[in-house]
Amino acid sequence: MTGSPKVPILVARGLDDRKRSLLIWIVSIGAFCAAIVAIYPSIEDTLTDVMDGYPDALKEAFAVEDLNTPGQYLHAELLGLILPLALAWFAIRAIARDLPSAAENSFLDVLLSAPVSRRQLVATSFVGTAIELAAITLAAAAITRVTAMVLGVDLSLGDSVAGMINMWPLALFFAGVSILINGLRVQSALVSGLAAGLLVLMYVVDVIGRLAPDLDFLRYGSVFRYYGMAIEDGIDPASFFGVTAVAILVALAGALLFDRRDLPG
Amino acid sequence: MAAIETKRLSKFYGAHRGIEQITLSVERGEVFGFLGPNGAGKTTLIRTLLDLLHPTSGSATVLGLDSHRDRIEIRKRIGNLAGDFSWQPKRTGSELLSLIAGLRGVTEMDYAQALAERFNADLTRPLGQLSRGNRQKIGLLQALFHRPDLLILDEPTGGLDPLMQEEFMAVVSEERERGATVFLSSHELDEVQRMCDRAGIIRDGRLVAVEDIGELMSKSDRKVSFTLAETDIDPGEFRDLDGVGNFSADGPEISFTHRGPIDPVVKLLSRHTVVELDLTHPSLEELFLAYYTGGRSTGDRPDSGDGDEAAG
Repeated sequence: MTGSPKVPILVARGLDDRKRSLLIWIVSIGAFCAAIVAIYPSIEDTLTDVMDGYPDALKEAFAVEDLNTPGQYLHAELLGLILPLALAWFAIRAIARDLPSAAENSFLDVLLSAPVSRRQLVATSFVGTAIELAAITLAAAAITRVTAMVLGVDLSLGDSVAGMINMWPLALFFAGVSILINGLRVQSALVSGLAAGLLVLMYVVDVIGRLAPDLDFLRYGSVFRYYGMAIEDGIDPASFFGVTAVAILVALAGALLFDRRDLPG
Repeated sequence: MAAIETKRLSKFYGAHRGIEQITLSVERGEVFGFLGPNGAGKTTLIRTLLDLLHPTSGSATVLGLDSHRDRIEIRKRIGNLAGDFSWQPKRTGSELLSLIAGLRGVTEMDYAQALAERFNADLTRPLGQLSRGNRQKIGLLQALFHRPDLLILDEPTGGLDPLMQEEFMAVVSEERERGATVFLSSHELDEVQRMCDRAGIIRDGRLVAVEDIGELMSKSDRKVSFTLAETDIDPGEFRDLDGVGNFSADGPEISFTHRGPIDPVVKLLSRHTVVELDLTHPSLEELFLAYYTGGRSTGDRPDSGDGDEAAG
């Protein structure tokens, strides 16, 4: 017997377990991105008029000022709400499946009979989710760019990648939140429910803060405050790495709690 | 150094009792049976030893290592079968064994293959398509294949057919010969009687007794019944033997319970023509039931209900 790298083995196994579901997510989100891009040439000329018809408060709430460029359009249609929420939900479900659900099904009993620590199981789930999120966002970026290129939409690969990969820290943050909740010993459904509730709450807080300048300070408590519009403005490294660091710290705190709690059969 | 040692180990789930004040020592190289009905605390004790549950109070060592602090080192050296063994239903036994082998750094899979053949285990089908007994075989394989120093098996024969139970008992015997310690929980008294050197009995979370199986059986009352050819015998000569109780005689048919050396009974019988003779020990089940009905009617240890008294 020799020492073996347990986290890479478990991550590889986890990715293999979930390759089909990952493919479904990539195809679904890629198809959705392609459809949104495909519509753009036919409505491009009307978007300015459409925007003029929207109330300022509505535009402020969704962080959309203009729809003059493909980047602004894709942010409004894809990257401002739907995809970040979808990817955050993906991350929440991935953690819930790997940890509380696996514990409820007694799968963790088998793994924890081998020389594996709970912290390694948490690291496995977090790293695996991060890889899957990267795969989905990069695939979405590639599909978006290819569709734009085919249809003559002016969107560079760099902008497409920046816009998509900018969701990665945000979704990873909710993976960390799910790990933290799992550390409190709750059922898998409750882990998903509480993390999804926090996701919606943070989004609403961000919208309220943008609409009411007096309440702008509330946005500092929402991860959406640090999200921005990377497809137009590029990635803000401070926000990108800051949110990633917070996600890791929250996951670490969850790992410590998980280590200390009981694992009932 | 004991393979498993607990000192006043307790686990409560809030106000609900799991195990209470369990003091137990399992020696290296022995096969120890842990008996009790569902809900008595067997699985709670095992999960606490494995650091899946954290004790409310008390301490436990496994192979001389602290059950919490040294949990990874312990897991390297044990094989564990959970009571409700379960794994991803779409995965095959072969895939599970490969994963566990990778985590353990095991490259030699000959013994796993040999065990699979002995248990007639199907390693190629997804676990979700296997019967409970066939899944249990996979569970046994993943506990055994790396030849651990200590086997902790929670209800190991659950779902196995009688032939496979026999095979399992043979494997346990081989493990003992190899020097491994086996700690198994069960409510199958017969298998404990056949496999184990000692057995602990847990009731309502407390360890009420630890007994050497052989001694337990030898010290307990045996049942003696026989029929003699003669009809004009004096039953008093049997009734007056030392250790006789529950005596009854119906002509040449005599029965009684007896404790102590059997030789006087045999010598007295040899003076008669014996038509039929039946000599039986009470089963472990009868002894076990005696513990669960408020005290021992057989054997010679009173029901203390105190974990300290039960230390092996």
